[in-house]
Amino acid sequence: MISLRGVTKLYGTVIGVNDVSVDLGAGAYGLLGPNGAGKTTFLGLVTGQLRPSMGKVRVFGERPFFNPRVLRRIGLCPASDITERAMSARDWVRYLVRLSGFTPAAAALRADRTLEQVGLGEAARRPLSTLSKGMRQRAKLAGAIAHDPDLLVLDEPFDGLDPVARHELVSLVRRWARSRSLLVASHLLHEVEALDAGLAVILGGRLVASGTVEEVRRLIDTLPSEVRVVCDAPRRLAEMACASPEADAVRFVGTDTFVVDTRAPVALAERIGAAASAEGILVRELVPGDRSLEGIFGRLVQIHRGEAS
Amino acid sequence: MTTPPVDIPDADRRAPLPALASIAAVAGFQLARLLTPPRLALAAIGIVFPTAVLAAAVNGIGTSIEPRLGIPMLYLLIPEMVCMLGLLVTMSPLVADELERGTWVHVAVRPGGRRGLLLGTWLAAVIWSGAVALAALALAILSDCIEGGARVAGTFAVLILLSCMGRAALFALPAVIVPKRALVASVGVALVIEYLAGLIPAVVNQFTVSLRLRTLLVAWTGLRRDIPAEFQLLVDINRPWYQVSAVLVLTAVFLAIAWAILEWRQFPPSDES
Repeated sequence: MISLRGVTKLYGTVIGVNDVSVDLGAGAYGLLGPNGAGKTTFLGLVTGQLRPSMGKVRVFGERPFFNPRVLRRIGLCPASDITERAMSARDWVRYLVRLSGFTPAAAALRADRTLEQVGLGEAARRPLSTLSKGMRQRAKLAGAIAHDPDLLVLDEPFDGLDPVARHELVSLVRRWARSRSLLVASHLLHEVEALDAGLAVILGGRLVASGTVEEVRRLIDTLPSEVRVVCDAPRRLAEMACASPEADAVRFVGTDTFVVDTRAPVALAERIGAAASAEGILVRELVPGDRSLEGIFGRLVQIHRGEAS
Repeated sequence: MTTPPVDIPDADRRAPLPALASIAAVAGFQLARLLTPPRLALAAIGIVFPTAVLAAAVNGIGTSIEPRLGIPMLYLLIPEMVCMLGLLVTMSPLVADELERGTWVHVAVRPGGRRGLLLGTWLAAVIWSGAVALAALALAILSDCIEGGARVAGTFAVLILLSCMGRAALFALPAVIVPKRALVASVGVALVIEYLAGLIPAVVNQFTVSLRLRTLLVAWTGLRRDIPAEFQLLVDINRPWYQVSAVLVLTAVFLAIAWAILEWRQFPPSDES
């Protein structure tokens, strides 16, 4: 469905995506990466908004840029909010469907049907300015799917939504993805996980990992990390930490601090905490390594570049 | 034996001419966007201003303005000034507005969306500016400030239409080339191309709308014989049908160039709000 071969996109001297090669068959995929990683550029290339500076992009076997055949089969829900606040959701969706080449009557039917599907049937005639952020997101989704695309592309669809609205939107998208293909860009792993989608992890414009959620999780779990401990008896506590199977190596930093290299930082931190409590050692700091998504991405890109094992 | 007609569900009906359908959709959308109090106030000023100027002149001289002076005044006030200002505010933000409002990506991802945006906005600009200019013309004629003004109403209506068509297409160029500076660039284009190059009696003025409109004005209102010899160089010698065709050709060429540029343009995500 989507194929990128050695694709690089430059904005002057700034790199949007860097030498990306990936094949995504029909199905649901999450494009995961921190803000500024190149996700929107990736989506821009797939949806024919941008031309690659180098390499080839193919969607449904064809070049998407300036290609109505491909564009007809794509629905895009961009990250930006709808700013046509005076317009109703119904008029907005009708406008987009008409732009896809349908008659005004067909556009009206499709807009009503789709707004009903996304749960905006009753609010469809209200101005967008009076709708909540979650409702506007659903209106945006309706605009992206009302022309029946084969591939739905969503850019940060859950940003700024409260948990209830997020849950509703996830259910909607999951339902839609049962019969069509889906590509969702997000910087939150659990959002993509909730969609049962395959993963492609992007950082600094580079594709650093791809596979199923389990495969990427496994990879994340095996990444080397560390636990930093500040206490009043570092040598005694380090000795106990060394005895645990999670510890790979220990080094001392100053007189009251030691750092343990590990691949299971959370389990090791719990073990060290329990040992300190049992021995009556005062622990002032117990910090498992950076397992935030940015931290994990950082490690992934190091592995990708061959700077870490 | 004939094949029974295929029953297409209503919701699946595609417009017979999708290109025209998207142009009409964008034109309707843009006209709806123009119906805001500030834009309507601006339109009202555009409608009243020419009559106010003519009335002030009548007040000064104490009688209706004679056609030799009144017709050129009316021409400068309506097909030139009112049309030009109307087109500047409707056509220049062609791309910039979409980028600022975050609607560009919604339009650009539709098949033929960019073309629809260009031609639909052009159509909306022509309708809006043309309607304002025609209303201004009607008011000016009804005010009876110019002697026999009603006799040139038809001529002015055509000049207004041609002015709007040609100049909206001309302003599409800066709008797609430098979207974020389109208004300033369009004013520059108007001054340099339409008013400076348009007044140079050389090949360069053949590519301006203003030469064609001036020529049509003097040909259709009988002013040609009143023009002093040294000003004859400021109008073309060809017949009116040639001038009308030239405006239509220039319009088509400007729009084709703007379309080619717009289809090829990319806007990085940072350009969108």
